[in-house]
Amino acid sequence: MHIPDGYISPQTAGGLWAAMVPAWYYAGRKVRGALAGRRAPLIAASAAFAFVVMMFNVPVPGGTTGHVVGGTLLAVVVGPWAAVLAVTAALVIQALFFGDGGIIALGANCFNIAFVSPVAGYFVYRLVSGRSPISSYRHPLGAGIGAYVGLNAAALLTALELGIQPLLFHDAAGTALYSPYDLSQTVPAMMSVHLLVIGVLEAVVTSLAVAWMQRTNPGLLFAAAPGETAGERFRLRPLLVALALMLVFVPLGLLASAPAWGEWSSEEIAADLGFVPAGMERLEGLWSGVLPDYGFPGGGEGVSQAVGGYLVSAALGLAAAALVAVVLAQVVRRRSSHDG
Amino acid sequence: MTAEAPTSLPAWMLETEGGGIAPSGRRRRRGAAERTLDGVARALERSLFSEELAARAGTLQEMDPRLKTVCLAVLLLAALLVRHLPVLAAMYALVLVLAWASLVPLGRFAGRVWLFVPLFTGLIVLPSIFNLFRPGDPLLVLWHFGEGASLGPWQLPAELAVTRQGLQGALLLVTRTAVSVSLVVLLVLTTRWSVLMGALRALRLPRVFVLVLAMTYRYIHLLLGLVTEMHLARLSRTATRLPARRERRLAAAGIGTVLEKSQVLGTEIHEAMISRGYSGEPLTLSTFSLRPADLPPAALMLLSAAAAWGGDRLLG
Amino acid sequence: MAETGEELVFELRDVHFSYRDHVALDGLSMSVQRGERLVLLGANGSGKSTLLKLLDGLIFPDRGSIHAFGRKLTAEALADEGLARSFRRRVGFVFQNSDAQLFSASVRDEVAFGPLHLGLEHREVERRVADTLHIMGLEHLADRPPYHLSGGEKKKVALASVLAINPEVLLLDEPTAGLDPKTVGFLERLLNQLAEAGKTVVTATQDLDLAAAIADRLLVLGEDHRRAGEGTPPEVLADRRLLLESNLVHDHPHRHDGREHRHPHSHLEDHGHRHRD
Repeated sequence: MHIPDGYISPQTAGGLWAAMVPAWYYAGRKVRGALAGRRAPLIAASAAFAFVVMMFNVPVPGGTTGHVVGGTLLAVVVGPWAAVLAVTAALVIQALFFGDGGIIALGANCFNIAFVSPVAGYFVYRLVSGRSPISSYRHPLGAGIGAYVGLNAAALLTALELGIQPLLFHDAAGTALYSPYDLSQTVPAMMSVHLLVIGVLEAVVTSLAVAWMQRTNPGLLFAAAPGETAGERFRLRPLLVALALMLVFVPLGLLASAPAWGEWSSEEIAADLGFVPAGMERLEGLWSGVLPDYGFPGGGEGVSQAVGGYLVSAALGLAAAALVAVVLAQVVRRRSSHDG
Repeated sequence: MTAEAPTSLPAWMLETEGGGIAPSGRRRRRGAAERTLDGVARALERSLFSEELAARAGTLQEMDPRLKTVCLAVLLLAALLVRHLPVLAAMYALVLVLAWASLVPLGRFAGRVWLFVPLFTGLIVLPSIFNLFRPGDPLLVLWHFGEGASLGPWQLPAELAVTRQGLQGALLLVTRTAVSVSLVVLLVLTTRWSVLMGALRALRLPRVFVLVLAMTYRYIHLLLGLVTEMHLARLSRTATRLPARRERRLAAAGIGTVLEKSQVLGTEIHEAMISRGYSGEPLTLSTFSLRPADLPPAALMLLSAAAAWGGDRLLG
Repeated sequence: MAETGEELVFELRDVHFSYRDHVALDGLSMSVQRGERLVLLGANGSGKSTLLKLLDGLIFPDRGSIHAFGRKLTAEALADEGLARSFRRRVGFVFQNSDAQLFSASVRDEVAFGPLHLGLEHREVERRVADTLHIMGLEHLADRPPYHLSGGEKKKVALASVLAINPEVLLLDEPTAGLDPKTVGFLERLLNQLAEAGKTVVTATQDLDLAAAIADRLLVLGEDHRRAGEGTPPEVLADRRLLLESNLVHDHPHRHDGREHRHPHSHLEDHGHRHRD
């Protein structure tokens, strides 16, 4: 489910980064209140858990094994907002060390896996577990259902983000520039496997793990039970506001950035979508006002093309010079370390 | 908790049950526990490899980490914006030169990237080269279905073909992903974790966030050790593969244990930090300085990024 | 904030502390003299670690009071930045779990953490880091991440990270647990050197050998989470009944050179004996 770099356009990725900034900010503020100075070490240790939990191989029916994400499980124990920050840190390290998910695509992966998944999962968990005592079966049940919902929400978002790519980004001949599959392909492909297999595994393991904690260390679930120590009441309204903001932010990010490339016109979209989003025609006008034919985006104008070509060849020439310098420096270094 | 004198051992414990070590002729299948152990070992090995490479005296290792991070990020962004295959291929060549100049073993470097790329990107993208999934100009016709053929509710095109657009798109995606992954791998392989964190701080990422990242990486190592011990203890006590249900329960209990341990750790670390004066505002010694020798590699990376992006626009 | 002349570093009056419904300390009164080497002896779960955390102002008593350097130690008092800073500069704590204490990305960062956060100048911090690494023989590990160190190296780095602050009171929780004899010897010498330099050293342990080597005074915590006894090392270590009741030794028959006899000995020592019963 981790989107690598290259699958989504930088524009889409940028939109999702923009969506994550308020989410991180809000999570940071919530956690500051709840954990005080403890937040950095506790979030780091939780993030280490979020990383390590994905190393556990768990058998799925059919003889192979899968692994769980554990976002909802973590949210049940540390609360949804600490989970957002912890899973974010885990995703950064996965991207850096394992190439598991891209760097530019990090905003998108965080949105799906670190934000929507644990928050939605936790919300469902609280809905099901309610005010039942810590020993109630409703805790493992709620955590299981929450994990299922959370994971599938993330999968759906991933499918949507990938699926809009060929629609928005392709060249004149129809070659897809990023992920090539459209929504009618990504959604069924992602959702069938997540709804039927991966989501079920996540649900089963999350609920077993919560049941295990009930038996061995119910104190871990204290934070989750309302009215107990450190039990922060979960309020719905800020969550809804945040989600509404996201809904506004994301399409804006997608649409606002795309026309900057002058790649596709309203007609093209009309052909693809069957209609033109009303706001987009206006946006398009806005963009061309702000950026009247900058440089050489395939404008075909003699002068700007020539200037562009000049600049590019200048850059290339300087880069070549620098390349020679780097290679020479390395050769000299190798030789001297050989002698010494 | 009074110290009890050990009572006498039960009779069966006084017997030796050994027997010989005899093969049964049946091979034991690798189960989930072994796979987990393999994964953990790979992760630890990878981290060791990075630390070893980061200590070498290569071009990128000796570069100011702040500048290096910025330059590689600019290259990464350029790679994502570029849309012509030859330009991406040139960028990959540049990546290889940088790796060579940084004393990174090229075989292993390329292997790490190309093992990953075909597995994830290649397989996923493969179907898209056929006109079944995306219409396009046929390049190579493989099969004639005839007009109006259908597979269940699915309308098939008249012929199965590899399309030009499909093939180009697939190559583009695979190369782009390879270049992006290579750039990130290059950064991590040539920069010690503590130095990378220092660079991120210097680049104005929120200090608390960088502190969390640094500590996360450190405690991942601790928890991976815990996971290894747990699974080895398991394997030393079980001879056959367990039924999947039982295996899932064990995994859940293992996950619970790690979660519990992480929460205890979080509190302990906090106490250790408070005790040494931490009050929520992380501070570090910063010792970076730009040197003239940083200039050529930085110029190479930035100018190449500019040339790639500009050249790509020129190509249309 | 140098209140010279005061002789008591810590003074505890009727201190109670419990974790949820689990009692850790039940009405303890004690004091720590300036410059003394005090060892807190007690079996697992007797409340030693809790006591050290109370002394370090990490947790606060449910009932009773703790005074440090003549000032009452409370959460509110330590919320004052200036007071917290001067207190943390004067009191250093080496935790039992080195992994929890070594949270930085490299040994150098770890040793610099305390001095930096306690407001020392960068130049001074660098000097202290270099000096501390030198006296602890850790220079070659300066750029290593903490997770590749051995248990003994980790303990030395943990100690270095506290010594760089140069606290006048050193609190140590089970400093020798799991260490090889050579590192234990190094630690004993270092602690005694520090005490000679006038530092107050408070060590919690269940290792009677260590207690004999580094204590002026022993304070025994019993199973009931109260003070069970107190005295100089020869006095306490000769009091077999006290040690037995506090689970610091066990008493059962075993063989030496083929002859069977009984004598008490500590849990941690390995005499290579064989149970008979």
